[in-house]
Amino acid sequence: MPRMWWGAGAVAVVVVLSAYLAWTAHRVERVHRRARSAGQALDAHLLRRAAAAAVVAEKAEAVEMYAAARLALDAGTGEREAAENDLTRHLAAVRLDEAEPAMRALWAANRRVVLARQVHTDLVRDALTARRRPVVRLLRMARRYPAPAYFDIVEPALPVPAPAVSPEAANSGTADSRTADSTAAPEGTVPAEGTVPAEAI
Amino acid sequence: MRIGIVSPYSFDVPGGVQNHIVDLAEALIGLGHHVSVLAPADEDSDLPAYVVPAGRALPFPYNGSVARIAFGPVSTARVRRWLARGKFDVLHVHEPMALSLSMLAVLSARGPVVATFHTAMTRSRALSAAQGLLQLVIEKITARIAVSELARKVQVEHLGGGAVEIPNGVAVARYAAAEPLPGWPGAGGALGFLGRFTEPRKGFPVLRSAFVTLARERPGLRLLVAGPGDRAELYRDFPADVRERVEFLGLVSEATKASMLRSVDVYVAPNTGGESFGMILTEAMAAGAAIAASDLDAFRRVLDDGRAGALFPVGDADALTALLAELLDDAPRRAAMSSCAAATVAAFDWPSVAQRVLEVYATAIEAIEGRVVDQEWAEPRPGG
Repeated sequence: MPRMWWGAGAVAVVVVLSAYLAWTAHRVERVHRRARSAGQALDAHLLRRAAAAAVVAEKAEAVEMYAAARLALDAGTGEREAAENDLTRHLAAVRLDEAEPAMRALWAANRRVVLARQVHTDLVRDALTARRRPVVRLLRMARRYPAPAYFDIVEPALPVPAPAVSPEAANSGTADSRTADSTAAPEGTVPAEGTVPAEAI
Repeated sequence: MRIGIVSPYSFDVPGGVQNHIVDLAEALIGLGHHVSVLAPADEDSDLPAYVVPAGRALPFPYNGSVARIAFGPVSTARVRRWLARGKFDVLHVHEPMALSLSMLAVLSARGPVVATFHTAMTRSRALSAAQGLLQLVIEKITARIAVSELARKVQVEHLGGGAVEIPNGVAVARYAAAEPLPGWPGAGGALGFLGRFTEPRKGFPVLRSAFVTLARERPGLRLLVAGPGDRAELYRDFPADVRERVEFLGLVSEATKASMLRSVDVYVAPNTGGESFGMILTEAMAAGAAIAASDLDAFRRVLDDGRAGALFPVGDADALTALLAELLDDAPRRAAMSSCAAATVAAFDWPSVAQRVLEVYATAIEAIEGRVVDQEWAEPRPGG
């Protein structure tokens, strides 16, 4: 009789253990998938920003900034971070009328880069944390996924200029038009691969 | 966009987080999005149409105080049903690091999750032990928002993750349309102060000293004070000859607060430090009051470097006296400041804040899907 109980206990332990392992493997898979997706989204936003920067550079006749934008668009894997940092430096220096739609589009694109990078950093950290867990290392659960890497650039946030709205305009609903414009698509933007219209989701 | 918002705290009791959620939800609906809010509340309580009650919150001893929260198998089932029916593009939870509906929703979520952190301390001692559970929650959150610099700092240091800082919005229209209290501001001029006058960092003694000096020179000048505190304690420190020109409202409702701010010529913020953002200044700006504020970094930023309100050296009663005298005598300057303030405060209006939140939603969705959705995503879609 005791032997039967031992058997049942062993089966229960095996069941619980394998459920735990399967769940952990699923978690590892999920964090890696998310880190990769976030990387793709960040990549697309960097391209959009560089394209918007090129448009502004043309309007402002800033040759160096145009070159920086081109370099950022064409940069290969190893040189990407330096190119983006260089572009950020130029963006902080560019002076153009802030009512200019191209400028607003650039700011909007830059805001999205800031957000996308933030999210990417968090998700990469989660994936790396998961890889360090003892059970994951012991069973080499992460061996099928390449270790995600941080996209190591300086904080791309631009000093947001104070809203320069004249007092008269403020009373006639300028706030609304400003917020609506800030999300408008930049003129001449390269649509990122895999772009889908909002309705499709 | 289909947005699901979870409130950890019951709508049966008022509170800052609940107000934030209601204002945000209404701003998002105003921008043409579909919003459903899940909150602990009785089935029969009087709620806005977009709020789904998740049942009564039970009192629960938590982190040294009693919190009213909903947590357990019944709540879990309700959260799952709400998630399944809602088919949300993004789930937005508030304060998910405490045992609450928010945490349940995060654990049950499959898609993009945005989390907003309100208080500076979001990690309880009880939960510190459950590091595994916390990691599970953190792992499911895609993007984080902190409502203040302090909340962001704590988030970074204690939970090890970044956060985007998006401050609370101000319902500008509500303040701009409020009726002044009857008989205010009056011909002799009126000053206003809102806050706990006994708290040293609110700097009330600076204003008191300036008011006493000014009131003796100007027979019609009055002072309107609102906030928690004892009337006798407030009056005790004023000399008898000006005491009757101080009006004390006590703790006020949101509506009375708006009326109070509309009732004064100059709103005074004599704080000596510790203000992380200066919410009250944005409210005073929305109400159209001219502002005299301490020259603190946060106030300087909110007041657009002194254009939307006058600044005086921190704690300097004489400077405040001189500044208030100038402002009270110069109606055109007050008007100019208040119209500049109206332009500045537009950036803090809920629709603007909601746009920034929408950008975070879009970022979270893209990070999960691995592709960039079209920019129209974040734009208002009438009837959408």
